[in-house]
Amino acid sequence: MKLFGWQWLAVSSLLLGISASAETRPHYGGTLRTTTRIAPSSLDPADRTQTDSLARRNLDELIFDTLVIVDNRGRLRPALATSWKAEPGNQRWQFWLRRGVKFHDGSPLTPEAVAASLRLANPGWSILAAVDSVIIERDTPAPDLGAELARSRNGIAKRGPGGTVTGTGPFHVADWQAGKKLTLAAEEGYWASRPFLDAIEIEMGKNSRDQLIALELGKADVTEVAPEQAHRAATEGRRVLTSSPIELMALVFARDRQSLEDGKLRDALALSIDRASIGSVVLQGAGEPSGAVLPSWISGYAFVFPMEQNLSRARQERSEIRQVPSWTLGYDAGDTLARVIAERIALNARDAGLILQTTTSGSADVHLLRITLGSLNPRVALATVAAITGAPAPKMGGSAIDELYQAESAMLQTQRLIPLFQLPASYALNSSVQDWDQDRDGSWHLEDVWLGSNRP
Amino acid sequence: MTCTRYNAVYNSPILEMLTRSLRFPRLTCSLLLTICMLATSVSYAGEWAAPEQELARKIAAVTGPGAIAFEVVNRSSLTNRDVDQISQGLRGQMEALGARTVKPEQAVASVQVSLSENLQSYVWVAEIHQGAGDLSVVMVSTPRQDSAMFVREVAPLTVRKIPLWSQEERILDVAVLDEGTNPSHLAVLDPDKVALYRFADGRWQKEQIIEVTHARPWPRDMRGRLMLRQDHLLDAYLPGVFCQSSNTVPLNLTCRASDDLWPLSNQFALGGFFAPTRNYFTGALSPGIGKQTSSMKFYSAAALPRPTYTLWMFASVDGQIHLLDGITDQVSRLSWGSDIASVKTSCGSGWQVLATPPGDHAVDSVQAYELADRDPVAVSPALELAGVITALWTEAKGTSAIAVSRNAETGNYEAFRLAVACGQ
Repeated sequence: MKLFGWQWLAVSSLLLGISASAETRPHYGGTLRTTTRIAPSSLDPADRTQTDSLARRNLDELIFDTLVIVDNRGRLRPALATSWKAEPGNQRWQFWLRRGVKFHDGSPLTPEAVAASLRLANPGWSILAAVDSVIIERDTPAPDLGAELARSRNGIAKRGPGGTVTGTGPFHVADWQAGKKLTLAAEEGYWASRPFLDAIEIEMGKNSRDQLIALELGKADVTEVAPEQAHRAATEGRRVLTSSPIELMALVFARDRQSLEDGKLRDALALSIDRASIGSVVLQGAGEPSGAVLPSWISGYAFVFPMEQNLSRARQERSEIRQVPSWTLGYDAGDTLARVIAERIALNARDAGLILQTTTSGSADVHLLRITLGSLNPRVALATVAAITGAPAPKMGGSAIDELYQAESAMLQTQRLIPLFQLPASYALNSSVQDWDQDRDGSWHLEDVWLGSNRP
Repeated sequence: MTCTRYNAVYNSPILEMLTRSLRFPRLTCSLLLTICMLATSVSYAGEWAAPEQELARKIAAVTGPGAIAFEVVNRSSLTNRDVDQISQGLRGQMEALGARTVKPEQAVASVQVSLSENLQSYVWVAEIHQGAGDLSVVMVSTPRQDSAMFVREVAPLTVRKIPLWSQEERILDVAVLDEGTNPSHLAVLDPDKVALYRFADGRWQKEQIIEVTHARPWPRDMRGRLMLRQDHLLDAYLPGVFCQSSNTVPLNLTCRASDDLWPLSNQFALGGFFAPTRNYFTGALSPGIGKQTSSMKFYSAAALPRPTYTLWMFASVDGQIHLLDGITDQVSRLSWGSDIASVKTSCGSGWQVLATPPGDHAVDSVQAYELADRDPVAVSPALELAGVITALWTEAKGTSAIAVSRNAETGNYEAFRLAVACGQ
């Protein structure tokens, strides 16, 4: 709407009388208080005993830098490496390191330190330290090595005695109570500019309800919001920000398909699930029902994989099997959303004549898992899912879209997993948090965040 | 594969060059519109030809020649016009390969093409049904082009924005080096370099890139300023660093660590010390305003000449506007944002202050004010920019300002010249 003459003058004059906070440029200083559900026992980014999650990845990225990063359009960008080159065949890569970077303990970032860090995270790779670069040699062509190195598990860390780890990231560890609380302080000499915040306090092991209460009471500035609560939180007037779908919720079988009959039963289970009603009732519309491993915004073709419930076909498949075993369906005991969805799936399966017993035991026949997509690079993301689910590693020689589609189709044809939903990550913020710039994949950029003066 | 650090994007000619030629606006507009439409349709047709051909070939490999039912569904950000063109193009390609498009009940195969997209590409997926429910899927992808074109303002505005430059890297300041009849030389300051561009053959062309050297990491929300000089081309002021150009071509830039004063104006002799690790001025002033040699820490300053003194306004880090006249430091009721700049014009009182609004906005604006006494009066509607303003500096002559905003949609930094046109 355009205002002319006295109209806009009157509006402008009225606005002048309002005493508003005039901060538009970022302020330095302050401590951001945040909460998370995860409760890691170690801060080492390469520690594979820790469950991979978006929260974990965001935590890593506060302390550790990677050689390169992947931007919102899936392109490689410089980080600790300023340039790189792959030799023809993509088996040998060289990364030239940024000069003048120091670890938080003051020691310089050297090719030797980078090589040692990457070797520990990737025991199967051959990694050499050169004068001002590192050289990585792989047994097979690795066209996506850059995107692989951008994963937070490849954060460059210097490991000391007693399991201590030091990074080069925007924040250093000021206090660490394993699994309970982490306090980070801004790194004054950070190579990519000191963060605006002075410190970040992260309370760990908090369930969704406790997190929202902490926000409500002004004890936290940023909290995670469970997907099914995001809509309600927003309608209640909270400031909620949501990423693109970045977490795959899927049923994952503990074993490979055992026989043709087993395959038919897995088919019947996939056809019996009513994703649409689970999505609208349980997830409150927060997740995208999906028959694909990769969300469409990453692959561009997810809609091709069927996901509609087809009970008649499910019953037909089931009827072709004489003896139907009873399966156990495992879920994470601390995840209330998983429990409700597991129960709905068991009911759907029963309608098709299948028997699923829900359990929180780790040794179930089928597990309801949430798998964080490891990268914005679709080939790396697919390989990550394969590694987590036990499906065969996808084979792709090039980067053509139909090769990716064939690889994803092949993964689904193994019947090792049944995709259910693509879930976004949501956060609730209080009004003092400014310039919260979240990537499409839910990654934080807390180095850019600053606190306004209107803290509740 | 080698990383490319600097990705220049499309940069439009300066608007003044167009507006000066608009002596017969209606006729010219119509001609321009027609030319634009023709050019666009030609370029679009060419843009999609390769993927159309490839997808048609893949579909034909499955269906063979014959009668097919053909449907196109858009699942992407493509416009209806693009979709129509692609749809027509695909039909044409299919027919060239021996397919006839018919109604579904007459077809031996039905083809649904979904125009989808992912992070980097458009993905066109053909789902082909033949016989008893057999489904084949073929697909192609084609890179998505980011359109970083400026939307040109043609409506008369009191504060006019004239697009100067756009790039992916943060722009700290832009200086128009050679006005002539039209601006023909630009210097663009970003955290790593000063880039010189010349307007020739209807577009800006790179003349020289000069690296800015510095030992310490830059602060976040980095700021910097270019000042044109008489005895050499320019000086660049950066946090904790001062760079001076040579006066010969090709230019050299000599940079050194420095806590020197940053000039706050070309018209009024006053400098401020900039905090080398932060995004604000420390508040220390030299030579001072009358007896006053300090203010609160501030983000920006603007001067308004009065008959017997100069009134300085400082947008302080505490969110308030401080008015200093050489004797008093008055906190104003003004509700402005962090960036202010004054411009000398030929209308109104002769001086206006351009100010951003308070608060956190996804899209910023600039509005012109006059201060009759110490009370501000808005004298223009707010001019919206496509994102948050990251820099606002008065230009060398003092008659216009440079504004830099980060486009909320593209993420690119865009520099504009802001000029106040009165009586419109």
